[in-house]
Amino acid sequence: MKEYALFLGCLIPARLPHIEAISIKVLDKFGIKTKDMIDASCCPDPVVMKSLDFNSWLAIAARNLSLAEETESDIVTLCSGCFSTLSKANHLLKYNAELKGEANKLLSEINRGFSGKINVKHVVEIIRDIGKETIERQVKKPLKQLKVASHPGCHLLRPSSILHVDDPNVPTIQDEIVSWVGAEPVNYALKMLCCGVGIKMVDPEANLLLLREKLANLKETEANCIVTPCPFCFMQFDMGQKEVSRKFGESYTFPVFYITELLGLALGFSPEEVGLHLHTTPVMEV
Amino acid sequence: MSKNKEEKRVGVFICHCGKNIAGGVDINALLEHAKQLEGVVFVAENRFTCSDEGQTTIRDAVKKHNLNRIVVAACDPALHLATFQRVGEEVGIDPAFTELIDIRKWTMPGSPQKVDQEQALENSKKLIQQTVKRIRLKRVIPTVEVKVEPSVLVIGGGIAGVEASLDLADKGYKVFLIELLPTIGGKMALLYKVFPTNDCAPCILAPKTAYANLHPNITLLTNSEVMDVKGHVGNFQVKVLKHPRYVDEKKCNADGICVEKCPAKAPSEYSMGMGERKAIYIPFPQAIPHKAVIAPESCLYFQKGVCRVCEKFCPTGAINFEQKPETLELKVGAIIVATGFEEYNPSEKKEYGYGRFSNVITQFQLARLLDIDGPTKGKLLRPSDRKEPENILMIQCVGSRDEKFNVYCSAVCCMYALKHAQIIKHMVLPDAEITICYLDMRTPGKGFEEYYTHTRDLGVVFIHGKPNEVREDPKTKNLKVAVEDTFLGESIVFDADLVVLSCAMVPAEGTRKLAEMLRIEVDESGFLKEAHPKLRPVETNVRGIYICGCAQGPKDIPDAIVQAKAAASCADSELRKGKIMLPEFIVKAGKTS
Repeated sequence: MKEYALFLGCLIPARLPHIEAISIKVLDKFGIKTKDMIDASCCPDPVVMKSLDFNSWLAIAARNLSLAEETESDIVTLCSGCFSTLSKANHLLKYNAELKGEANKLLSEINRGFSGKINVKHVVEIIRDIGKETIERQVKKPLKQLKVASHPGCHLLRPSSILHVDDPNVPTIQDEIVSWVGAEPVNYALKMLCCGVGIKMVDPEANLLLLREKLANLKETEANCIVTPCPFCFMQFDMGQKEVSRKFGESYTFPVFYITELLGLALGFSPEEVGLHLHTTPVMEV
Repeated sequence: MSKNKEEKRVGVFICHCGKNIAGGVDINALLEHAKQLEGVVFVAENRFTCSDEGQTTIRDAVKKHNLNRIVVAACDPALHLATFQRVGEEVGIDPAFTELIDIRKWTMPGSPQKVDQEQALENSKKLIQQTVKRIRLKRVIPTVEVKVEPSVLVIGGGIAGVEASLDLADKGYKVFLIELLPTIGGKMALLYKVFPTNDCAPCILAPKTAYANLHPNITLLTNSEVMDVKGHVGNFQVKVLKHPRYVDEKKCNADGICVEKCPAKAPSEYSMGMGERKAIYIPFPQAIPHKAVIAPESCLYFQKGVCRVCEKFCPTGAINFEQKPETLELKVGAIIVATGFEEYNPSEKKEYGYGRFSNVITQFQLARLLDIDGPTKGKLLRPSDRKEPENILMIQCVGSRDEKFNVYCSAVCCMYALKHAQIIKHMVLPDAEITICYLDMRTPGKGFEEYYTHTRDLGVVFIHGKPNEVREDPKTKNLKVAVEDTFLGESIVFDADLVVLSCAMVPAEGTRKLAEMLRIEVDESGFLKEAHPKLRPVETNVRGIYICGCAQGPKDIPDAIVQAKAAASCADSELRKGKIMLPEFIVKAGKTS
């Protein structure tokens, strides 16, 4: 059975450890093992750090990649941001000899080096590759009552020429998984809109406006919950709904799921195992 | 004429081309270099070698210094080689012994091949040296007189092809007009109206197509395609495949009974997928020939072996299911290619949702919806619920001026968007809000700017910006269009019931294949390439083959007609004398191939 190096990043271990727990359990159900990446650092962040100091961004990413290369296993990430950084860095280092040379010069100071022999995957891709039949066979509690609006987020899909996860304009990867666990995917106009969290530190006002636009659109549909493959989007929806509701005098209470939580429930894990009690927006339906 | 053992006396003429060459290379160094080459007995420089003065310099030098070889170092041979060959001939030098070489491409500002002074000198020296050597080794290519066929093949029955055919037929040539579809008229027949006069397109087209059908000198071959071309100017041998119509054109009286009775439906090619047709159909009211045709891929008899209802009801017994494809062999003196264009398929531009969102359509589809002979009889009903749209938004430059797809400007999209806006405002839905999102409005034509101004006066809103996304409400199928108005510097989201994409013209399917068959060139965008972009716009690299209309590049109807007439005139000039001189090897190759 395939064993992946599990790259956790920052947000999940610090603030959403239940996502790590249920993800490991869900993958294990399908015979997919994960091992911790000892000494892994921040990925680092695919927007700010990359813009401020590209070479350091690449070198730190190269160091993380080299840790997985040592154990000769592909990386799985649970976070779209980590996925974006590590995939892009891996691509650049594999196909741009000059960048690889520069990164390796820096890494040589700590006796490391990038060689380019592994791949990086997002957990959503791994679930898709497990396939419809295998997943449907394992579903114990089909989530028939859920009408799920999937939020793909930004960093899972773009740049599509490097990531190759799904169509960047019309992604279906999460909707497919939603239907495999017996729930009903709901299409909506603003599916591709950003959740807003990316600009929270720069412009908190705009951040809430974006989130509100998205939530207002969801309210017009029959969706009764949201699913996302990204812990940042998860936090934005889970916690941000309260803030938007308070600020604009409206009421948004969509339960929010991380993609493996949805699988966990369908596979028969208890709500506590899944970590639903740790959500900010209560999950009543389940 | 020079004898074989005769001394080779080469004159080298170096052109300044104003500053185009002189500004980028040391002319004196070139002269010094040329002077010492073996066989060179005379060198000269000229400010403009192509001018009358420059030509005189060459003639005088030939006489005075007894030259028998001329090398002109100047510009592209496609531009002026014929000129200098004529100058040479005037003083007794065979055309084979006059060479024009292009040293200007390395020096002219803006040339894609421009290099620095030093490199230009190096390149030019080498080219002059090689050419002098080559011209000393060259022999005269024997020419022979060939009788030409007084007939022309015109490929493509759109407005350009029809116009060229009529011109040549009127001049007395026998014309074979070949069209792949069952009717001539091409894309123009489907435009409903034309800018800037707002004339009804079929009304101004139909007299021409009808006459083409009746003209004693024109043989119309619809449902036909060119399979093979051999030979040379004056004597091309063309193999044509005529696909069966399954209707005897002589017997069919186009009463439409068969169409009425036919039980099988399919999306109509002539309404751009906006409507349906029967398996047996007459493409549109002005179709020429005005005869029914059976599409075997949608016919129940051909698909399942049952039906033949049309045959039962046809009062003239015109239906013939036994028709077989026919191969025809034609002999023609010249060929005109007018295969036209297709509308760019915008589904690869995913952010606009064409193909995913039912209320996102193209301008060609809109034209069909507006046409009183179209699938909705001129009512503008949006596809999702067949309701009249209140907010219509048009997006310009879809698939054109876009480095991801086509870089060229498609030339007519601004005008046809204005035309449709005017038709809607004047005749269809005067209260509809129309917004046009554009990058630049390009209206360079007679009466075009006035047409644009008039459209503005009608209350059409123009937004300077290219929309980045079209979103659909899955329930109502209404659309939202996000665009940055770059004049205001603001992001705007428009509500629209109908989004219309102004798509580029792209070469018709099969253009490249046909070009290969004819051995003519295509440009980087896939359009047929002219012999010279400025001076020989309808000729090709093959003598006797001419191009016109949108097969050569995007253009409007008057430009297509101008080119058609030019192509007809070129063919006429070539065939008029009834005989031409051709290099012997070409004639020999033509006979054995």
